[in-house]
Amino acid sequence: MEQTRRLYIITGKGGVGKTTLSKAFARFLVEHDHEAAYVTFQHHSLGETHYGSKEKTVNGIREIHLDLEDAARGYIEKKLNSKLIAGWIVKTPFFRALINMVPGFSYLIYLGKILEMQQQDPRLIIVLDAPASGHALTMVESTTNFKQIFESGIIFEDTGKMLSLLNNPNYTRIHIISLPSLMSWQEALELRSGIKERTPVSADITVNNCLFPLVEDRLEDLPPGLREKALNEKKLVDTNQDQMLCVLSHSLGQDSNSVESDLVGSLSNLI
Amino acid sequence: MALSTKSFEIFCGTGGVGKTTLAAARALQLASASKKVLLITIDPAKRLKDLLNLSGDVAGEVVPVELNGIKLHALLMSPEKTINRMALVYHTPDLASNKIVQILSRPYGGMNEILSMIEVQMQFDSGNFDVIVLDTPPGAHFLDFLESLNKIKSFFDQSFIEIFSYLGQKTAKAGKKVFGVAFINRFISGGVRKLLGYLQTVTGSKFIDDFIEAIQIIYQSREAFVKGLALQDKLKAREQCNWFLVTSVEQGKAEEAIELRSHATHFIHQDHFLVLNKCLEIELSSWNPKDENLGIIKKSLEEKEKTLKLHLKDVFPVVLEFPEIMSLSPLDHIQHLTKKWNEYVLQN
Repeated sequence: MEQTRRLYIITGKGGVGKTTLSKAFARFLVEHDHEAAYVTFQHHSLGETHYGSKEKTVNGIREIHLDLEDAARGYIEKKLNSKLIAGWIVKTPFFRALINMVPGFSYLIYLGKILEMQQQDPRLIIVLDAPASGHALTMVESTTNFKQIFESGIIFEDTGKMLSLLNNPNYTRIHIISLPSLMSWQEALELRSGIKERTPVSADITVNNCLFPLVEDRLEDLPPGLREKALNEKKLVDTNQDQMLCVLSHSLGQDSNSVESDLVGSLSNLI
Repeated sequence: MALSTKSFEIFCGTGGVGKTTLAAARALQLASASKKVLLITIDPAKRLKDLLNLSGDVAGEVVPVELNGIKLHALLMSPEKTINRMALVYHTPDLASNKIVQILSRPYGGMNEILSMIEVQMQFDSGNFDVIVLDTPPGAHFLDFLESLNKIKSFFDQSFIEIFSYLGQKTAKAGKKVFGVAFINRFISGGVRKLLGYLQTVTGSKFIDDFIEAIQIIYQSREAFVKGLALQDKLKAREQCNWFLVTSVEQGKAEEAIELRSHATHFIHQDHFLVLNKCLEIELSSWNPKDENLGIIKKSLEEKEKTLKLHLKDVFPVVLEFPEIMSLSPLDHIQHLTKKWNEYVLQN
């Protein structure tokens, strides 16, 4: 089996099954005796409500939802050595307006938090259920952009350290999830070339939710539209197979939990 | 509820559901009814870009599009071009040359949401169009997008008056000279100074200088931002704006659409439509599976769609259904969907 990376970033258009797949992959890693956690973040701005980071264990897998305010306060606290000042800074309207006006900041803060969690726990593998397409590029680019903005100081050095981990192919791997439709596939290709321009880590495409493996030998028994759908999928996969890391079948499970269980066994290529 | 034409139509949704294609089809349908239409989109797939004349170096430009003899205009958001336009329209050239502003207005610098709101307002102000159809970023980012107006507001809020009015006066007196931290510290009392002092420990003083310069320049351009706030009233006005929340049958994303709406209640008014794309119902209803295995597949697909529709009709006042188009050509997609839009318009 291939050497595992420390950080797996799962991205792709919304609605392609990123969340279910990320959870299934974390479960796959745990079932193969790795220490792994599913991580996601929801809020891109500091609002009135403070949600707080949350962690729960579902089916034996750690699920961590990071909170922006907690992550920002934690970072400042560490750098300034004062919980009090850090708490005050993140509550000032000035700081909040700054973070909210510049969304790339939030990605920098989240990525910093994730890498810090891994520093504290050197065995921890993180599967990051990342933002969709364009925003994934914003996330990938945020470290570079802010490194250029800061030019010096502690954040500059920290951002540089983050960048060297995120750009290290042995540390980080990116998976782009696509549906088996031409439009979705081409968007995945575009996203991949966008990522390649920004980082040397490998970014591979996995095609999810394919109907044709289920009906391949029964095509003549399908209604014409469904047959065309299956044939289009098959054509797409046949023509581009060499560029697809993994092709996953449509799951007949009716809820996300059973879909997740269906997927777990097919994810070894994602390592 | 009637699907009437208003001056602003906003498409939002969970992403990967054909939102941009549906918005383009709607724009085409409106244009076929002799409206002057501008379609603004953020991140379309390349083939759709080709079709809409948006490939190459035209990002940020309003370009004419002709599809099947119907004419409309399209604009692919480019944060950089929007900044340049703001600098031009509001006579604040420094906005386009500030380093921080430049880095953040790269295509993926993260400022897309806020700047597209300002772009929409500038296009309204141009008076060139009857209807603007806006395709927003997917999923929760659509909320960022809606909130961006509030973000602008809070950015220019009370807490900034101190620093802004100070910088504003000095700028008026001394031209474009930029003041360093030490100088500013003498004049700014209390919170902001303390904060900048702490931030300097972490970010280095060069950043604080650059940052103050950026703030100063943004302050000079505040008219552009503040004018963008007018859009918020438009979004809430029933007679001015149609809301379309787009989702698709494929992944059973009903929950996400419902959640989106509940988060957007501050912004959304009652005239909103749920657009359910990629329906297989008609296709499946004509199918008699030959055996049990195929029966299971049919039933699985049918059940998913049925449950989803029941759920959505419970929550949304109007659900507009669009069939899944099996063709590989994006032009076919747009044509079929435009026809369907027309049917919905004629139903009224």
